[in-house]
Amino acid sequence: MWSWSPRSNVLLPQSAGTYNIFKKINQADHVKTIYSFLLLASVSASVSATNCPQHFAAGLAPMIVNQKMAAATQELCYEGYGAMHSGVTRTPLWSAEHLTRANLEVAQSLSREDSFHPDPNLLINGRAELKDYSRSGYDRGHMSPNSDFSTRTAQYESFSLGNIVPQDANNNRQIWSGVERSTRRLAKAQGELYVITGPAFLGNSLNRVGNVLVPTHLYKVVYSPMLNQAAAYFVANTATSNYSVISISMLEAKIGINLLPGVSQSVKNTAMQLPAPTPYSRNESGYTQVGIDQISSASAAAGAGAINYVQGSKLVNAAPAIAATVQFIRNIGR
Amino acid sequence: MSEFQPFKNESQTVEIGNLKIENRLDKVSIYGDIDITQDKIGLNHARTLKSMFDQVVSTLEAAELPDAIQAPVVKSVPNPF
Repeated sequence: MWSWSPRSNVLLPQSAGTYNIFKKINQADHVKTIYSFLLLASVSASVSATNCPQHFAAGLAPMIVNQKMAAATQELCYEGYGAMHSGVTRTPLWSAEHLTRANLEVAQSLSREDSFHPDPNLLINGRAELKDYSRSGYDRGHMSPNSDFSTRTAQYESFSLGNIVPQDANNNRQIWSGVERSTRRLAKAQGELYVITGPAFLGNSLNRVGNVLVPTHLYKVVYSPMLNQAAAYFVANTATSNYSVISISMLEAKIGINLLPGVSQSVKNTAMQLPAPTPYSRNESGYTQVGIDQISSASAAAGAGAINYVQGSKLVNAAPAIAATVQFIRNIGR
Repeated sequence: MSEFQPFKNESQTVEIGNLKIENRLDKVSIYGDIDITQDKIGLNHARTLKSMFDQVVSTLEAAELPDAIQAPVVKSVPNPF
C-alpha cells in the first residue's frame, strides 16, 4: 500500500477563517491521493475504484481485505450514501455518508411517508426481497439512516434493502437510534463528519432470515476532518445497553475491511472520544460504555449487563484549539 | 397521505415527529417519540395518528385472529466468511 498522510497534524483549525484554508490544503492532498491511487491501481488488486468518491474521506472507498467477502459484491452510489452490497449476505457490507451541518439542518423531520423496497440496481439473484424480512422478528435496520437526509430522493434511497440489515428490534429502536442521534449532533457541532456504517458477521455460525444473513454486530465509523481523528461505535446486534468505542485499526482487523484507506495509520490506531448514544428521554438510564472484550457475540450479549466497566477510549493529546470540541463531546451524550 | 393499509404490505412507513410507523405483514411497528403540541402542528399530528389507529383497529376487528402470531423462523447457517 502507499503511505500517505491525509492531513498535516500540526495544522488544526483555530477559527472559521483558518478552517477554509485547511480545506484547500485537503483538496490539494486529495488530488495527490488520486494520482497515487492511479499509480497503484495496477499493482494492487484490492484497491477498488468507486463511482461516488464524494461519500468517502479523501475520496477513497473502503477496500475488502478478507477476499471471501469480495464475492458477489456490487457498489451502490446514491445521492446520500455509497454502499458495497454483498450477494452472499444480501446486505450492505458498508454504507458511507458525508454528514454536513448544512444538510442536517434541512433534514429536521417533518411528517413523511416512504417505502422499503428491494434495490432495482442489484442483481435479482443476489439481493434481499421484502419477503425475506417478513415475519422474521427483525427490524429492517438502516445503515445510513433516513433521518440524516434532506431531500425526498435521498430519503427514498435510504429505504433500499441495499442499505438495510436484519437488526434486533430493541437495538434498532434504542441504543442504535441513540448512536445515530449522537453522530448527527457531533456532525452539527463540528461542521462535517465522514461516517461509515455496517454489519459485522463474526463467529462460526450465523442466523439467517429468508435468504438474508443476520449480522452479529454493528459498527459506525466516525472520522472528523476537523480533528483528524477517528473511532468507531461497536455494538452487538441484540437487545443491549452496552456499546464500545474502538480504534479503526481494531475494527478493521475484526471485520476484514480497510475502512479508511485515505486516513493515516497513526490516526486509525488511536480511538477519538465519541459521545455516548443519546437516549430519547433524559429519564432513561442511558447506555454504558464497556471495553471491547465485553461486547460479546449475539447470544451472550443480552445478559452482559452484570459486569460492565467503563473504559474510556484513549484521548489524543488535545491541542488547546480543540479542547472546546473535546469538552463538547464529553457533554453531548447526556 | 396515501392510505395506510395495515398488515397488507411490508413496505409502507410513516414518520411523524420522531415517531416511526412501519407496516409489516404480521404487525405494525410504532417506535420513537412525539410531542403533540397544543398548536396547529399538534392537531395535524394527532389527526394523522388517529386515522392510522382507526385503520389498524378496523382491520383487526374485521379479521379472524389467532390468539398470538407465530414465532419467527430463524435458521442457523455456517458463517461464509
